[in-house]
Amino acid sequence: MKAGATVITSYLTFKLGDEMFGANVAKVLNILEMTKITKVPKAPNYMKGVINLRGSVLPLIDTRIKFDLGETVYTTNTCILVLDIDLNGEAVHVGALVDSVQEVLEIEEAHIQPPPSIGSKYRSEFIEGMAKINDEFIMLLNMDMIFNTAELSLLRESSGEIEVGEEKE
Amino acid sequence: MMDNFKRKFIEEATEHIQDIEQALLELEQNPSDKPLIERVFRAMHSLKGSGAMFGFEKISEFTHNLETVYDLVRNEEMVITSDLLNLTLASVDHLSALLKEDADLSEALMQQHSRLMKQIDEFVLADSSKKNAAVELTKPNIESEADQKTYYILFQPNEDIMSNGTNPLFLLDELYSLGECLSIPITKKIPSLDEFDPNKCYTTWEIFLSTKSDINSITDVFIFVEDDCELRVNLVCDYNLLSTPLFVEKIEDVRNKQQEIGLSQVQDFVANMVSPEVKQLQKSKDEKSIQGLKDQTISSIRVASDKLDQLMNLVSELVTTQARLSLYAETDGRPELLNIAENVQKLSRQLRDNAFSIVLIPIENMLTRFQRLVRDLSKELKKDVVFEAEGTDTELDKTIIENLTDPLMHILRNSLDHGIETPQVRIEKGKPAQGKILLKAFYSGANVIIQIFDDGSGIDTNFIRTKAIQKGLISHETPLTKKEILDLIFIPGFSTAANVTDVSGRGVGMDVVKRKIADIRGEVEVESEINIGTTLTIKLPLTLSIIDGLLVKIEEVYYVIPLSVIDKIYAIEHTKLMKAFNNTIVLDGEQIPFFYLRNEFGLSENNTTHEQIIVVRYEDKRVGLALDNVIGEYQAVLKPLGKHYKKQEIISGATILGDGTIALVMDTNKAIKQFAYKTLITEDSK
Repeated sequence: MKAGATVITSYLTFKLGDEMFGANVAKVLNILEMTKITKVPKAPNYMKGVINLRGSVLPLIDTRIKFDLGETVYTTNTCILVLDIDLNGEAVHVGALVDSVQEVLEIEEAHIQPPPSIGSKYRSEFIEGMAKINDEFIMLLNMDMIFNTAELSLLRESSGEIEVGEEKE
Repeated sequence: MMDNFKRKFIEEATEHIQDIEQALLELEQNPSDKPLIERVFRAMHSLKGSGAMFGFEKISEFTHNLETVYDLVRNEEMVITSDLLNLTLASVDHLSALLKEDADLSEALMQQHSRLMKQIDEFVLADSSKKNAAVELTKPNIESEADQKTYYILFQPNEDIMSNGTNPLFLLDELYSLGECLSIPITKKIPSLDEFDPNKCYTTWEIFLSTKSDINSITDVFIFVEDDCELRVNLVCDYNLLSTPLFVEKIEDVRNKQQEIGLSQVQDFVANMVSPEVKQLQKSKDEKSIQGLKDQTISSIRVASDKLDQLMNLVSELVTTQARLSLYAETDGRPELLNIAENVQKLSRQLRDNAFSIVLIPIENMLTRFQRLVRDLSKELKKDVVFEAEGTDTELDKTIIENLTDPLMHILRNSLDHGIETPQVRIEKGKPAQGKILLKAFYSGANVIIQIFDDGSGIDTNFIRTKAIQKGLISHETPLTKKEILDLIFIPGFSTAANVTDVSGRGVGMDVVKRKIADIRGEVEVESEINIGTTLTIKLPLTLSIIDGLLVKIEEVYYVIPLSVIDKIYAIEHTKLMKAFNNTIVLDGEQIPFFYLRNEFGLSENNTTHEQIIVVRYEDKRVGLALDNVIGEYQAVLKPLGKHYKKQEIISGATILGDGTIALVMDTNKAIKQFAYKTLITEDSK
C-alpha cells in the first residue's frame, strides 16, 4: 500500500457476473449511470469508446472483457466507475464499466489476506488481497495495474512477461 | 509573500540572463557595437541590484564582478575579446545554475563559482596593467573631441546681398567645411509671391558650428560680405554640442516648427548641462531606460502563463456553450433568438481568435538557445559553422514552442555532428570552409513550417539502406524510393552515428524527434542530397486547442475533419460508390482514389441512395473519403482522448457538441496512411 499518513480502508464493492470485487475508494472518483457512448473506430474491443463527463472526454473500458467474462450486457444495474489511475506517475481518469455496484465496506488491513499464489485465475500483480465478508470472498483489486496495462490479459495463462504501459524513457 | 517576490525575481533574472546571453552572441559578431555593450551592462546592473534586494547574495556578488569588467569595456578601457566572451558566457551559465539552486549550493557549483570569480578578477587585473597604455592610446581621440568648441552664428544678409554676386549658400558651405555644422533657415521674412523679388535674399540663418578653428577663422568666412549683412558669432560652449542627441533633437524640433532658437535659449540649454560628459551619459542612459520602460508598458504586459491557460479554457468552454445556444436557437426557430445566437457566435469566434493570438509567441524566443548551441558545439567539434534564422517573427502557440525546443536542439546537434564537415574536408570538397545552418520559419495556411537546412555532407541513402538491412528493418529485396529510405531514420532504434559521440548518436535518435513533434500534432520530413545538404521540414498546427472543422456523420458517430485539409465535397450515388473499380472514382474529370469509411471502420454498408465524398489533400495527392452525411462547419474545441487511446492514430482528439454528444476529430493524414497501408498488405497476401 502507499505510504500515506492515513491509509484508507474503505472499499467499494462491485460485481462482474457472479464474482465480487473491491476497489479502494481512494481510486474511485464517481459512480455514473449508463450514458451515451461514442464508439472510437478501430479500437480494441475492451475499449468501449468515450463518454462526456461534464465537458471532458472520458475513455471507457469494458471491465468484463478485461477479466475475460465476455462483453458487458447493459442492464439497469450497469454502472460506470470513474477511476483515478496512476499511469506512469501521471494521474489519468478512466471509466470502468461494471455490472452492478454493491456497497462501501470498511475492511481492516488485518482482515486482508495476501492473494493466493497458486490456483487463482488472475495474475497476482492485479490483486491487492482477498477479504472474506459474510462468507463471500471479495477480490481487492489493484486498479492502477489493471487499467494501466494496454492490451494485456489479466489471466494467468497469457505470456509471462509483464508489460506495464508503453513509455520507456 | 517572500516566496512570491523570489519567484518574481527568478523570473526577472532569467529574462536578464537570457538578454545578456543574446547580446553576447550578437557582440561576438560585432564586438564594438556600443548599444550592445550597454545592453549587457544594463542587464548585469539590474541583475546585481535586484539580486542583492532579494537576498541572492552569490548572484549579486558574482554579477558585480562581471559588471566591473563590462564597465571597463563600456568606457572603452577594455576591448571585447573572444576570451572575454567565452568567460562571460560561462559566467552566464553559472548564473542560471545559481538561480536554480538558490540557497543550498552543491560542492561542484561552489568550485565553479570560485573558479570563475578568480578568472574574472584576473581579467580585471590583467587589464589594469594594460590600462595605462590603453588610456594613452585613446586619449588623443578624446582630446580631439574635447578640443571642439561650439559657436552660435546668426547670419542675416541684407536683402540685396545677391546683387554683388554673393551666394549666401556658398558661405554656408564654407562653414560646413570647418567642422560639424547645423543650420536653421529663418524664412518668415519671405513675402507673398506677388511681392517676391527673386533677386533679393529674404532668409536669415541660425547656424551651430562645432569646430576646432577659432572665432577668427569663422568671421573670415564672411570677410567679403561684412558690410552686406549682420553677423553675430558667439561661443556657446567649449565642447561639441552637436554630438549631444538631446540638442540635435531640439534643433530638429525647432526647425520643423519653423521657429528661431535665439542665442539666449541656446545658452540656457548649455547652462543646464553642467558637466557635459557626465550629464550627457547619464541623460542618454536615463533616456534609454525610460524609453525601455515606455516600450514595455505600451507594447506588452507580463501575465502569468497559468492565467492565460485559464483564459483559453474559458474561451473553449464559451465556444462549446455557444454551439449549444446555436443548436437550441435553430430548433426553437424564433428569429430574434436566432439573431442573438448568430451574434454570439460571431463574437465568440472573434474572442477565440483574439485569445489565441495572445498565447502565440514568436519563435525568436527560442533562437538564443540554438545560437548558443551552435556556437559551443561547433567549437567543441572544431567546425566552423554559422547559424542563421529567417522568419523569426513567425508565431506559434506557446505550448508548441515549449515542446518544440528539445526536438529542434536534437536536430541541430545532428546537423552539427553528422551533417557539417570539418573545414578541411569542406575545402577538399570545394565548399566554403564555413558551414551554414539555416532555420527558416513561415506560415502555410493553417500551419507553420519550420525548416532546418544544413549545407553538410547530406544523408547517404546507400548507407541507410545497408544499415536498415543489417538491423532487419527491411529485406534486401524491399524496393524503396529515396524518400522511403530517408524516412527510415525515423524508425525507433535506428541511429546512423557510425561512432557514438557525446553529442548525438546515443540510439535515441530521430524517432524521438518524430514522436515529440507528433505529440504537438506536427509532422516531420527529411530531404537530403549528398554533399549538398539536408533539409528537415517540420509542419506544425498554429494552435493546439481549437480547429475549424467540418462536422460529418458515419452511422451514429459524429466526426470532425479539419477544414484545412478539405478540398471539395461531392454527393455521390451509393451504387456508383459500390461499383467503383479499384477504389477510384472520377470527380470533375479527375481520377481520385477513395476510401469507404464504413468499410474501414468495420461497419456494415449503408443503404441509402446518396452518400458524400469529401476530397482531402494527402501529401501532394487528393484522396476521397466516403461517408454518410455532412452536417456543416464546426469550431471544434479539442479535448484529448486520453492515454488509453494513444494508439488510435486516426483519431487525434474529441470535441463536445452543443447537445453534449462527443464528436471524434479525425486525422485524415494518418487515417489515409493507415488505410492505404492495409490495402497494400491485403493485396500482397492475395
